[in-house]
Amino acid sequence: MSQNLRIGVFVCHCGLNIAGTVDVEAITEYAKTLPDVVYAVHNRYTCSDPGQEEIRKAIKENGLNRVVVAACSPRMHEFTFRRTVSEAGLNPYLFEMANIREHCSWCHPSKPEEATQKAKEIVKIAVAKARLLGPLQPIEVPVTNKALVLGGGIAGMNAALDLAEMGFKVYLVEKKESIGGHMAQLDKTFPTLDCSICIEGPKMVDVSRHPNIEIFSFTDIVSVEGFVGNFRVKLKKRPRFVKEENCTGCGECRDVCPIELPNEWDMNMGVRKAISVPFDQAVPLIYSINKDYCIECFKCVDACGAREAIDLSQEPKETEVEVGTIIVATGYDIYQPEEGNVYGYGKYSNVLTSLEFERLILAAGPTNGHVIRASNGKQPKVVALVQCVGSRDVDKYPYCSGFCCMYTLKHAVQLKEHYGRDVEVYVFYIDMRTNFKGYEEFYTRAREMGVNFVRGRVSNVFETPQNNLVIRAEDTLLGEPIELEAEMVVLATAAKACADAGEVSRVLNVTRGMDGFFMESHPKLKPLDTAVDGIFLAGACQGPKDIPYSVSQGSGAAARAATVLSKPTVKIEPIVAVVDPQKCRNTKVKCGICATKCPYSAIHVEPNKPADVVAAKCHGCGVCVAECPVDAIAQMHFTDAQILAQISAALEDNPEGKILGICCNWCSYAGADLAGTSRFEYPTNIRIVRVMCSGRVDRDFVLEAFRRGAGMVLVGACHLPYDCHYIDGNWKMKVRMESLSTMLQKLGLTADRFRVEYVSAAEGVKFAQVVKDMAERLSELGKDKVKAENERLKPYIDRILDRKAK
Amino acid sequence: MVMHLTKRRTSEKLVVERTMYTKRYSLALDDQRCVGCEICRIACPKEAITVEKSSKSEGKKLGKSTVNVDETKCHFCGVCTAICPFGALTLSMNGERWVPVLEKESFPQVVHEVTVDETKCPADCRECEDACLFKLIKVTLDKDSGHVRVQVGTEHCPDCQICEDKCPKGAIVTRKIFSGSVAIDEEKCPEGCHDCVDVCPIPGVLSLSGDGKVRINEKYCVYCGACRVVCPVEGALVLQRFSVHHTPVHSGAWNKALEKLATTAEVTKELRTKSSMKVRETVKKRFS
Repeated sequence: MSQNLRIGVFVCHCGLNIAGTVDVEAITEYAKTLPDVVYAVHNRYTCSDPGQEEIRKAIKENGLNRVVVAACSPRMHEFTFRRTVSEAGLNPYLFEMANIREHCSWCHPSKPEEATQKAKEIVKIAVAKARLLGPLQPIEVPVTNKALVLGGGIAGMNAALDLAEMGFKVYLVEKKESIGGHMAQLDKTFPTLDCSICIEGPKMVDVSRHPNIEIFSFTDIVSVEGFVGNFRVKLKKRPRFVKEENCTGCGECRDVCPIELPNEWDMNMGVRKAISVPFDQAVPLIYSINKDYCIECFKCVDACGAREAIDLSQEPKETEVEVGTIIVATGYDIYQPEEGNVYGYGKYSNVLTSLEFERLILAAGPTNGHVIRASNGKQPKVVALVQCVGSRDVDKYPYCSGFCCMYTLKHAVQLKEHYGRDVEVYVFYIDMRTNFKGYEEFYTRAREMGVNFVRGRVSNVFETPQNNLVIRAEDTLLGEPIELEAEMVVLATAAKACADAGEVSRVLNVTRGMDGFFMESHPKLKPLDTAVDGIFLAGACQGPKDIPYSVSQGSGAAARAATVLSKPTVKIEPIVAVVDPQKCRNTKVKCGICATKCPYSAIHVEPNKPADVVAAKCHGCGVCVAECPVDAIAQMHFTDAQILAQISAALEDNPEGKILGICCNWCSYAGADLAGTSRFEYPTNIRIVRVMCSGRVDRDFVLEAFRRGAGMVLVGACHLPYDCHYIDGNWKMKVRMESLSTMLQKLGLTADRFRVEYVSAAEGVKFAQVVKDMAERLSELGKDKVKAENERLKPYIDRILDRKAK
Repeated sequence: MVMHLTKRRTSEKLVVERTMYTKRYSLALDDQRCVGCEICRIACPKEAITVEKSSKSEGKKLGKSTVNVDETKCHFCGVCTAICPFGALTLSMNGERWVPVLEKESFPQVVHEVTVDETKCPADCRECEDACLFKLIKVTLDKDSGHVRVQVGTEHCPDCQICEDKCPKGAIVTRKIFSGSVAIDEEKCPEGCHDCVDVCPIPGVLSLSGDGKVRINEKYCVYCGACRVVCPVEGALVLQRFSVHHTPVHSGAWNKALEKLATTAEVTKELRTKSSMKVRETVKKRFS
């Protein structure tokens, strides 16, 4: 920057929080001595209205073009002061904060002189960065005010209806022939025992009739490109071999078709014809032909007659839609224990899964609602319902599937309602989880109806010659093993992520947790957002949940989507990566390292062209910047030059006695803040430089620190494996730092002079402890040893860094 | 319960089943009646049937070929049941005979035409009963009325026409199910090989002549193709079918099956005949 730098420094008392420990006047005077600082003043409460007004006045009256506020943590008030500064006409990114409260006055209460010295240096560090700051404009992208909802189950339909009612056009994409999801397969819903399709059917019809909703049924999602506000989605419609515009859903074709095939929608317990709908209330009510089974006798064509709806030569159809947001509502699958001998399922004919039982007891099911045994067609007199089959199991699915206790109670109640005294019902459970509105009362109802509950896991089930099932379990409340001969066993199997969740995850670039369900941005505060801006989650695809919870999430996701769609543009923070096309290595050799390392796939690399960062997708972690072998990418507001300037400033005086800390904004820096907030005292040696993600930490920073004579270097990061705010920046840092550490140790560095520590935002204690340990060790090593080692390292470091500079 | 697809083979039959919660589909092949021909394999719309030549033992007659059904491919449509000239297949659901393609008229039933004018039968004549190779005819004499009753198990009758020939009084009228032609390419026919002769269900149709080559007498041939299945040399045995005697039908599945059993030309012929018959009927209706 060739312009004349005029830096203003504002030191805050924060009442006695800062002023009670450090000498704010001394700090202000010191600030005046720093090069390029033309104005320095101290203030009681800088964040208050008068305090902010003072800053605004000072900018105008003194022509300040950079502002440093020495006060609390930037995590507290950076946003506040950026606004203040922009109100005075200065670009908000020309502002920097010096953290002299959480990182200084609060954590060194018993050492006011050392704290004051530290505070001065913290201000020096901030001014060093401020000198190199440049103005940045937020990136504004236009928004297509349409949405895509992936999945037409109860959550997806609710999201679609809410968005449609708000006035946005919605594309509802469903991979099956009909919308409705698993809820349409159910007989009754707990705890009211409402008929499921009766309450869902009208909703399905509403969705089909709404002018703002376009249903793409029997359609798969092929690819998604773009970013928030501007997604381009390719869809592929599978051929039904029936023309949608001509089919009236009359069903005359079905009546004349000779081929019966197992109906997957009916859990293979019932049949459907080669030309049929999966169930009679399907929406859209359009028939489809299963070509694998069809023998092409064309009887259906005859029956259809003048409508001419059947077209056996139909091809898959590809379409492309443009939307502003995507809501993922792909739901769950049920675990079918077909492998091995899980309580005899698949081997013994009278062992069913819960969803199969649901289809049995349904009036429209294969037995017209009569619960009968497969072996002899008779009603069972003793029915055993086994909980947690596959759930809460370290060998299978360690999580709890959430709704099984309730639906088992529902089945028990239904059996008792159907058959009264004529059936004995036993429920084998570990815990009864009935924790929402009306659920505990439902549990009481089941008990009052005479359902027997045995608290104990079933160990074994084996079959008798009459096809009855002997169950062995422990009744833990009695402390005795028990044996029960049941005539039918129903297994409450786990809810698991959809089989194609992996494909959806890849297409949308949305991560999945260890349990296979999609990962939300933050489990507490952002349960419906994903790491990708503009893509939201709703319903069981995020984790097993019951119907009211899914409905709520559907509406919630619609609201989240509306925050993007309701505005004509969306602003993207400009702390993004930018490639210098002159320096980019990909123009000369095949590189693309940045693209492979980016957690958001935000970088496009084409052969022989410089890498291109899609600014709207960039989240500003800086991993690509650290990984680039030729330093061709820079991160705005956190450039290499700025950070190196901060490091030099930090190590200007007495570097051997200092610990240089580079901490990530979300976890370790916040942990350091917490140490201060909690008033944990620790030694004053440490000087912290803030980066957004530990993945940003370039090897050069560490090397430069040692070249400047640092006593110790600490890199602070979020915990592995999942805590990183930028998905896996911390993993990349780990790999990088480990190899660097090995190299430095070979060159003679004592191992614990360079440490990587994982500190969460909740671990103030840990941060304080780490600094204490490091300071102790540093004093143990002694200044001379440190100096000697640094001398030995210097030539090597010089060589590495100078080679880079070329 | 899980849906089960099962296959059981005994010396007497092969049973393929699909067991669902309330429905048990069952296809049974009677190994006694099956001659190991190629008709069901050709007709099956899902190519679920295979026919394998038996292994040859030195000096012994070649046994009939084995028909196998893939239980994962069979959709229990009933085409094989309808087309088998020997009536060797039965399709049932929950134990009751049920052939969906016949019920929905998606496929025709081949007509095993054997009509006996019992009035022509002499009282002590058993010629047809003795002549029938498949033991399908039973002649009984009602002593009181002197009435001769001739019972024919038509569903298993391939219409070889031997009984019609042997009847001294011309009381039996039959019609071949398949009309066609079969010929041996003498140059290709390997000398001394008599595989086709061994498996032919109608003795006398194929015979080994003095020079070691096979000779054909087409009179009683039913064009089942059992010979073609076992012929070791491609093109040595040329078999063609021209038409099929079947119940009236209007079905795309039948057109495809006919194309595979006979030729495309035959299908065109049949369709043309059908349409001209339709025209004739329409004209009749209009002008009568």
